[in-house]
Amino acid sequence: MEPISTSKLFLEASAVFTGFSKTELKATGMLQSYHNTILKNTNKEDIDYFFIDLNQLLTDPKQDAKSIKHILTTQFMPISAYGSLAQNMIILWYTGNWGNDVISSASYIQGLMWDTIHAHPPGAKQPGYGSWSDLPLSVKQSTVKSSPNGK
Amino acid sequence: MENNNNNYDVVIVGSGIAGSIVAKLLTNAGKKVLMLEAGLAAGIAMDQEANYKNYQDYLSTFYNASAKVPNSPYPNIKDAPSIDVLDIKKTPSTEGYLVQMGPIAFASDCTRAPGGTTLHWLGTTLRMLPNDFKMKSKYGVAVDWPIKYEDMNRYYEMAENEIGVSGNVKDQNYPIEQKSVFNKDYVYPMKVIPISYLDKVMTDIIDKNSKIILNDKAYKLYCISTPQGRNSIPNYDYDINGVAWNPGTKKLDITRNRFKEGYNPVGSNWDPYTGQRCEGNASCVPICPVQAKYNALKTLRKCDMGNLSVKTQAVASKLLINETSNWINGVEYKTYIKGSSPEYETHTAKATIYVMAASAIENAKLLLASGAANSSDQVGRNLMDHMTVLRWGLAKEPLYPYRGPGSTTNIPTFRDGEFRKDHAAWILPLDNWGWAWPTFSPGSDVTTAVSEGIFGKELRDRIENRVTRQFFTHFECEQTPDPNNRVTINPEYKDNIGNYRPVIHYNATEYMLKAFEASGVVSEQFFDQCGIEDFTEYNPQDPDYVTYKGKGYSFAGAGHIVGTHRMGFNKQDSVVDSDMRTWDHENLFLVGCGNMPTLGTSNPTLTMSALTFKAAEAILKQLEQ
Ligand SMILES: Cc1cc2nc3c(=O)[nH]c(=O)nc-3n(C[C@H](O)[C@H](O)[C@H](O)COP(=O)(O)OP(=O)(O)OC[C@H]3O[C@@H](n4cnc5c(N)ncnc54)[C@H](O)[C@@H]3O)c2cc1C
Ligand code: SF4
Repeated sequence: MEPISTSKLFLEASAVFTGFSKTELKATGMLQSYHNTILKNTNKEDIDYFFIDLNQLLTDPKQDAKSIKHILTTQFMPISAYGSLAQNMIILWYTGNWGNDVISSASYIQGLMWDTIHAHPPGAKQPGYGSWSDLPLSVKQSTVKSSPNGK
Repeated sequence: MENNNNNYDVVIVGSGIAGSIVAKLLTNAGKKVLMLEAGLAAGIAMDQEANYKNYQDYLSTFYNASAKVPNSPYPNIKDAPSIDVLDIKKTPSTEGYLVQMGPIAFASDCTRAPGGTTLHWLGTTLRMLPNDFKMKSKYGVAVDWPIKYEDMNRYYEMAENEIGVSGNVKDQNYPIEQKSVFNKDYVYPMKVIPISYLDKVMTDIIDKNSKIILNDKAYKLYCISTPQGRNSIPNYDYDINGVAWNPGTKKLDITRNRFKEGYNPVGSNWDPYTGQRCEGNASCVPICPVQAKYNALKTLRKCDMGNLSVKTQAVASKLLINETSNWINGVEYKTYIKGSSPEYETHTAKATIYVMAASAIENAKLLLASGAANSSDQVGRNLMDHMTVLRWGLAKEPLYPYRGPGSTTNIPTFRDGEFRKDHAAWILPLDNWGWAWPTFSPGSDVTTAVSEGIFGKELRDRIENRVTRQFFTHFECEQTPDPNNRVTINPEYKDNIGNYRPVIHYNATEYMLKAFEASGVVSEQFFDQCGIEDFTEYNPQDPDYVTYKGKGYSFAGAGHIVGTHRMGFNKQDSVVDSDMRTWDHENLFLVGCGNMPTLGTSNPTLTMSALTFKAAEAILKQLEQ
C-alpha cells in the first residue's frame, strides 16, 4: 500500500460528505484542526484505506455522479465502514464535536449546522439588535438570486 | 463604625438578585453590610480586567461544554455544590447536590456563584396578576397572600427600574377583569424587544384561528409581547431615576428625572459600552456574552462600596440563636480554600440584622439546620415550580428559529379564569430556539440524519428544510402549594465540608395532572389549527414522567424554585410576615422566591425582587428605630 498525503484529500472528502463547497469549508479555518482530529482518533489503517479508496472512486473516469453517490452510500457511509470515518467526519464539521466531545471553542462556533439553518451558534457570531425580527440575511439574499428554496 | 470589627448593621447571605438589591439599598442608605457568598472569589471581581477575564472563562467553558445546560458555564464547586439539571434521575436518587426521595424528581436548578442564578436566567419579567394574590378567596384553591396586587404596584416599578425591563405596556392585555394592571401613563424603562420572525408568522396564524374548546368552554388564543430584562432602546417617556431611602418618612422613594431623559441602559460589568443593546446572541440561558441581559452583579456594582464587605468562598452553615431573646446572634460560615478539598475554617459573622438570600431551597435548608424560624412547621414545605409540559412540532413553512432571545411573545389566554377552580393556570410562551430544549436540536437532527446514511447536499437540504420549520412551546403550569412537597434534612446526607444536603420530597397533585391533561387538549387543537405536525413524545423513561387517566406526560422544571418559607397572615400559618421578617426572630429577614405563598403564571423573579424592595424598606426602618 502506497502511503498517500491525506491532507489534500481531506478537504476533497469533506466537501463530498458535508455538501459544503471547498471554499466554504476553508473559510471556517478548521481544516487543519479537523484533519488532526481524525488522524488522532481514527485507526491508521481505516484512514489509509478510506482515502485510497475514495481517491480511486473520485478519479475513476468510468464513474458518473449517480454511481459515485451509490458507492458512497453503500461503501463509505455505513458505521461498519472505515471505523465510521465518514459519519464521524460529517458530524465533526456540522457540530464541532467528535463523539460527545467539543473539539474547541472554535469548532463549536464554526459548526456548519448553524449556517445550514440560517442561524448562528448560540453565544457567538451574533447578528445584531433586532436581526431576529426579520428573515435571515442568507434567506433574503437567496431570494434576490431567486434560488429554488428562496422564500 | 468599623468594617473590620464585626460591627456590621446587616449580614446578607448570598449575592444573587435578592441579596444584591438589599445590599445596594442598605449601603446607599449608609448602613454597613457584610455579604457572605458561597461561590468562588473570581466571580465577584469588580475591576474591569479581572471581571472581563472571569467572564470570558465562563464563556469559553460554555463553548466547550458538551451538554449546554443552564449551569454549564459556571464552576460546580465540591465544597458548595450547585443543584444541576444533569443530576435529575428517576427517584429515589442521591446523585448531585439534592437528595431526591420522590416519588418524582424536583426538576429545576440554580447557581452557586457570585451573582447567583440570574447569570443563567432567561430574563422574562412579567408581573403577577391581581387574582394570583387571592387564589383562596377567589377560586377556593391554595392560599391568599397577605399583600394585594395594589400594594405591590410601586414595588414592581422599583424592580422594573432595577432590572431594566424592556417592554410595551400597551401590549399587556391579560385575561382579567381590570383594564390595566399598570399605573396611568406608566411605561417600561426601555422599548419592547423586537419580537421574532417566528412570532410574527405565528401571531398572524393564531389571530385567524377559531376558538379552542376546553371542558365545554371556548377560549381564544392570542399573542402579546413579553417584557424582559435585557437592553433595548431607551424609552424617553420613562421618568424614573431610581430608588432612595427617605429617612424622614422612613420609606423608599421612587426618584424621578425632572426632564425626560429616559433610562440609561446598564452595560456589561467590564465595560459600560458593551451590552447596551441585546445583540441577538441567542444564548441568554446559560450566558449572555455581552451582558445585555440583566444579572445581579449589575446591582451589586451599584452598592456604596465603602459600606460593603464581601466574603467569598464563605458558605453559611448555621444561624446562632440567643435562647433567651430568640434573636439571631450570628451566622456560622465555613470558608474553603480550593473548592475541591474537604478543608475549611469555621467563622462567625455578627450584625444587628440578618438577611438570608441563598435562594429558596438553600434558605430553607439553613433554617432547618439551625432549628430557626420554624414554630409554624412551614419551613421547607410548599416547594413549588412551574411544572412545564413541552410541546413541539413542524410548521408547514420555515419559521427560522434559533435566533434572538429565548422567547419574545407569549399566549396569556390561560393565565387566569374560572378554570383555576379545577386545574392549574399556565402561560404559553412561543419559543425562539426550536427544539433545542426537548431534543437537543439541531445537533441531534444531524446525528440522526447521518446515522440514516444521508450525506452531502441531501443532508444539507434536509437539515435546512426540517430545522427551520421547528416550532416549540411550553405550558408553564402554576404549581400550587402542597405541604408534602418539601425540603428536609437528614444527618446521613452531608456535602464535602459537612453541610447538610437538601433532601427533597416532591409530587404532582391532581390539580396539576388535570392541567397537564388540559394542556394536551389545548395543544392538539392549537397545533392542528396552525397546521403544525406534532412530534411531541413523552418517554416513560423520562425522570419526570407521570400518568393521568391512561395518558403519560413528561414535565420539566422552569427554574422557578419557590415557596419554601412562605409569607402569611400570622405566626401559625407562615414563616415570615408581609415585610419578610421571620415571625420567630425579630432580627431575621428572608428574601427570595421562598417567601411567595403562591406562584401565579409569571416567572417569579420580578415579583420576588419587588418583595425584596419591600423587605429592604422594613429593614431600614427597623435599623433606624
Ligand atoms: C434556566 C433558568 C431560567 C430562568 N429564567 C427566569 C426568567 O426568565 N424569569 C424569571 O423571573 N426567573 C427566571 N429564573 C429564576 C431566577 O433565576 C431566580 O428566581 C433568581 O435568580 C433567584 O434569585 P435569588 O437571589 O433568590 O437566588 P440566587 O440567584 O440563586 O442566588 C443565591 C446566592 O446565594 C449564594 N449561596 C447559596 N447558598 C449559600 C450559602 N450556604 N452561603 C453563602 N451563600 C450561598 C449563591 O452562591 C448565590 O449567589 C430562571 C431560572 C433558571 C434556572
Ligand atoms: S439574545 Fe443574546 S445579546 Fe440578547 S440577551 Fe440573549 S444572549 Fe444577550
